[in-house]
Amino acid sequence: MLRKCFLIMVSLALACVLTAGSSFAAGKVKVGIMIPTTGGTATDGKDMESAIKLAVDEINAAGGLLGKKIVTTTGDDACDPQQAVAAASKLISEGVVAVVGGYCSGATLPTLKLYGEANVPIVIAASNSTALVGANPGIGFMINSTGDAQADTAVTLFKSVGVKSIAIVHMGEAYSEDLASIAKQKWEAAGNKVVAYEVVNKGEQDFSSLVTTIKSKKPDAVFWTAYYAEGALLIKQLRQGGYRGTIAVGDGSNSPKLIEIAGKAAEGVYCFSNPIVDYLPAAKTFAADFKAKYKVAPGPYSTLSYDGMKLLADAVKRAGSFDADAIKKALKATDNYEGIAGPISFTDKLTLARSNFVTLQVKDQKWKLHQ
Amino acid sequence: MSTLDIFLQQLANGLILGSFYSMVALGYTMVYGIIKLLNFAHGDIYMVGGFVGLITLSLLSPFLGAGWAGILVAMIISMILVGLLGVLIQRIAYVPMLSAPRLSILITALAVSMVLYNFVMSMTSGEYKAFPVDLGYDGLEFGNVFITYTQIILVSSTATLMLILHFFISKTMYGKAMRAIAIDQDACRLMGINVKTIIAMTFFVGSALACAAGVMAGVYYGSIHFFMGFLIGLKAFTAAVIGGIGSIPGAVLGGLILGLLESFGTQLPFIGSEWKDVFAFGILIILLLFKPTGLLGKTEIERM
Repeated sequence: MLRKCFLIMVSLALACVLTAGSSFAAGKVKVGIMIPTTGGTATDGKDMESAIKLAVDEINAAGGLLGKKIVTTTGDDACDPQQAVAAASKLISEGVVAVVGGYCSGATLPTLKLYGEANVPIVIAASNSTALVGANPGIGFMINSTGDAQADTAVTLFKSVGVKSIAIVHMGEAYSEDLASIAKQKWEAAGNKVVAYEVVNKGEQDFSSLVTTIKSKKPDAVFWTAYYAEGALLIKQLRQGGYRGTIAVGDGSNSPKLIEIAGKAAEGVYCFSNPIVDYLPAAKTFAADFKAKYKVAPGPYSTLSYDGMKLLADAVKRAGSFDADAIKKALKATDNYEGIAGPISFTDKLTLARSNFVTLQVKDQKWKLHQ
Repeated sequence: MSTLDIFLQQLANGLILGSFYSMVALGYTMVYGIIKLLNFAHGDIYMVGGFVGLITLSLLSPFLGAGWAGILVAMIISMILVGLLGVLIQRIAYVPMLSAPRLSILITALAVSMVLYNFVMSMTSGEYKAFPVDLGYDGLEFGNVFITYTQIILVSSTATLMLILHFFISKTMYGKAMRAIAIDQDACRLMGINVKTIIAMTFFVGSALACAAGVMAGVYYGSIHFFMGFLIGLKAFTAAVIGGIGSIPGAVLGGLILGLLESFGTQLPFIGSEWKDVFAFGILIILLLFKPTGLLGKTEIERM
């Protein structure tokens, strides 16, 4: 009996292996989703996946893409460069026509080479390190504004609240180090001072000695450029350690979890964010559909992920084929595509042609738009 | 802040961080002392302790509140549960390997670590979990030096636990048996000591201490996640080696020294805080060059 079961399982597995790789079989076309579904950023990753799947459902309900139904397959990059390479290889070997996703820039970075070699276009929904721009072999289309635009928004905010000197803390990986160094450059170019430029280790919990160092240098503001998990701990320990100045965090920390973990300490913290659903009039229907389907509110990168999938579908329709070069050409030619997170056009370097950052602030344990 | 203020504040920071390292290092050193196993799953026991603490605290808080009373009861219950988990792991994974070469049991320990780590990862979908306590920031202020009451309570509870452990090891029959087994297992067996039970008890105590540290970390830092055991596991191991692995006072001393090295490391002139680990571990290498047995370790005589 056991032996029989085993045989059936082996033959099933074989059947799966044989049918994979042929994405055009049975009137279907396969699109890859690359996001972290495990690790510290899994919440945002799954949220992006849900948004992409919602877009796919809508496209399929409206007749699919060039007469074919879209099926998705997900690769978990775990926000880790090594895992990301494995995830990208998995998607490529499954024969996807294109990929949507990309959350952690550090994880997205090494996959660009793979997608380039396999000639698979990827619509990068969230990752926005400027390091991606140089490493892009012409297949990555970034629909989130890069670190440059965010640093400008940060400098403007700090000036407007009367900050003269800042401390910058990053986590030593592509995304946060990139944002930190650009912010430092721009802040100093504007004639201001960076009194401390510090780095913490991923997974570390105790920042008390760092807090003491920062306090001793008396910055008017602290700018955390990495993700919410460590960011929440840093904010909490800064306030516990008696730091009373302004605290601002980058878009990687734009999560309700930051407030949940930091608690009262999060009050008044600023965050630079790509457009999230609460502040987008065009995203009302999307938010309602998302909530109806998944019973939770859409998270910070859901609108961009949804736009990414819809943009890809739009490009395929304009290209009139699933050929990678035709899709790339169509994506490149995108002219003010009306996404729910705002219009999309690309620069020569395949980055978003406008800055989409807004400033949020925690008020009564919630993110609110800062005027 | 004056230089003296910074010095005092970093001293306090280092002692608090160090007491966490010490608690975890104790388990490493006890297990090594008794069966010569570097239990690499110990950091993950700390992590599991944090999660068990979170679950018990959430179950208890409707009755006891999320204040110190609730935390204390939740901590004791989780210490017992995780202590039993330690014994279970020892029974399943380590006991059958005791007569195997040391390398095999070391690899088993790594496997146990992977199992725990990945189990919690899949149970929590890899998410960060917020600890449902907010203890406030009140504390004592000496000029610019600031210590919260929470920090004082944490350090005194670790000190209490360590004192209880010291009493247990040096004054009770069980402690005496543990020390005897560390010296010569076969002789102990001949003297009628139940070696198996005592080894199991060592695992219970070591795991319970790691669990206490895990719960305290959750309460103090406010969030827990599945890979929080990795870094502290490595650092506690380092602390145990600094103090002399196998030596119980050594583990406490080593933990405190590592905590202090790290917090003063962020204060390094000219090069900055990103070098603090290079600094701390560089000192470890230098120390081991001159005193390979660690600060309080004894030179072991290999019996052939």
